[in-house]
Amino acid sequence: MAAASRGGGGGPKALELLRALPRVSLVNLRPNPGAKKSERRRGRGRHGGKKSGRGHKGQRQRGNRPRLGFEGGQTPFYLIIPKYGYNEGHSHRRQYHPLSLQKLQYLIDLGRVDPTQPIDLTQLTNARGVTIQPLKRDYGVQLVEKGADNFSAKVNIEVQMASELAIAAIEKNGGVITTGFYDPRSLEILCKPIPFFLRGQPIPKRMLPPEDLVRYYTDAKNRGYLANPSNIPEARLELAKKYGYVLPDISKDELFQMLSTRKDPRQIFFGLAPGWVVNMSEKKILKPTDERLLRYYSS
Amino acid sequence: RLLRGGTLQERAGSDLFCLCLLEKPPLVISSAPVLRGCHLAIPSHRTAVQAWVESLRHYDDRHVGLADLHPDVFAVMPRVDILHTVAVWQRNYKRISYAKVKTRAEVRGGGKKPWAQKGSGRARHGSIRSPLWRGGGIIHGPRGPTSYYYMLPMKVRVLGLKVALTAKLMQDNLHVVDGLDMPTFDPQYLADLAQYRRWGQSVLIVDVNKMPENITKAAASLKTITLVPALGLNVYSLLKYETLVLTLDTLAFLEEKLLWHDSRYTALYPFHLPYSDFP
Repeated sequence: MAAASRGGGGGPKALELLRALPRVSLVNLRPNPGAKKSERRRGRGRHGGKKSGRGHKGQRQRGNRPRLGFEGGQTPFYLIIPKYGYNEGHSHRRQYHPLSLQKLQYLIDLGRVDPTQPIDLTQLTNARGVTIQPLKRDYGVQLVEKGADNFSAKVNIEVQMASELAIAAIEKNGGVITTGFYDPRSLEILCKPIPFFLRGQPIPKRMLPPEDLVRYYTDAKNRGYLANPSNIPEARLELAKKYGYVLPDISKDELFQMLSTRKDPRQIFFGLAPGWVVNMSEKKILKPTDERLLRYYSS
Repeated sequence: RLLRGGTLQERAGSDLFCLCLLEKPPLVISSAPVLRGCHLAIPSHRTAVQAWVESLRHYDDRHVGLADLHPDVFAVMPRVDILHTVAVWQRNYKRISYAKVKTRAEVRGGGKKPWAQKGSGRARHGSIRSPLWRGGGIIHGPRGPTSYYYMLPMKVRVLGLKVALTAKLMQDNLHVVDGLDMPTFDPQYLADLAQYRRWGQSVLIVDVNKMPENITKAAASLKTITLVPALGLNVYSLLKYETLVLTLDTLAFLEEKLLWHDSRYTALYPFHLPYSDFP
């Protein structure tokens, strides 16, 4: 009908045309031509019929072909090639969703991410910059170098992994970057806080990284959250020398308070400690008073 | 002759003639016109479309004011194929076909070989309930309750509503009313009003608020005029009824709800759970 004609130039002309046409009602509806192609059913006439796509005589027509992969007796391809564990344990491997500096700059420029607040995985998920699926072995986000040349935002960002150049790009603009580990349960809570609060469970403490990641997160070069804080200024200077930029002094910055906020290793959310229960409907936070609970949650 | 028989026009004309004798003729343009501007921002490259605001208080109250309608709801591209998609979905997604026939295994009997393989002169058979036999099982028949449930993407259904509203407006089948206050609960008054104003064979009246008693009583006995709450508005009903009558509150409600989908993030979790950044 009106939508199918290509002669009109856009919306206004189509609406003018619609005014002159009969009333659109249940009897006038049809899909666009070519939208519904009826399927070819076997055994029903000229092009689905006669031999019905089975060929002429033999195993093909009679449905007696050997199994898939059989090569007439020759050792088939799938047996002759030796096994190798390319995909072995793939479902136990940690995956980190890449976040390029270009994308981060894009989100900040569009106002989807607020650079005046610490940037967390929650902020990135709320801005729909990344989509993390903890159930698919995602362990978080890794910062990637693409767009490092044009990156010019001063942010306090916390990711799970970051390459050296990405760290350099953030620090060159006067920002702060930290890498932190989240176990899958904490990650799920971090990415979708509201469904978790609605469950009414107390906020759990974030688990410490597994053995193979401890070395990564205790290294100041990776700005790990478990690294000695006194090693970090040295590492910043080293990186500045390596990449050849002047390291800006963030202590003189007006946003120094915000830039220096870091999470406790056992904390999932800024401003909320493990053990607290958030009541969304009554807008209250319940804190534990029992000694044993307090000892557990502060350990 | 006018009491029984006579054409519909003649009968209606007589009633209105009686009404005319009883009441003062209405003002064509009232002294305080109701002007409704669009509450939500209109993109700068588009202008609002307009519709007369009418009233149900008098049979000829057709120019009570003027309403601005948002172009992204009431002047979208007339995608008739989307109307088709949504109308077909509305018909089919609730459908459960209960047809079920028995296969040869389910038909009672037929375990024993009817006669010996060789010697009887008749064709060879293994069971009296094979599909070749009269009373035998059916191959490839309908099997059990089948559901035809599927969901169209939310934005397609929203666009369907927008296209339907656009089509109604552009084809002069949309009427805006300032309220549903009626002077009487007589169904004949409503029917005559609809006919005088040439609204069409069937009218769908939509309101967000609770509807006043007069109109509910009047429409209850009428078959062609239906009242519907704003939440019950759907593409199938919009296409089935020839005319659509909206109140000003319904306009605001529809514009707000339908335009929200144009500029929202995708859902992280179901929309009925609370979000902090958008309603």
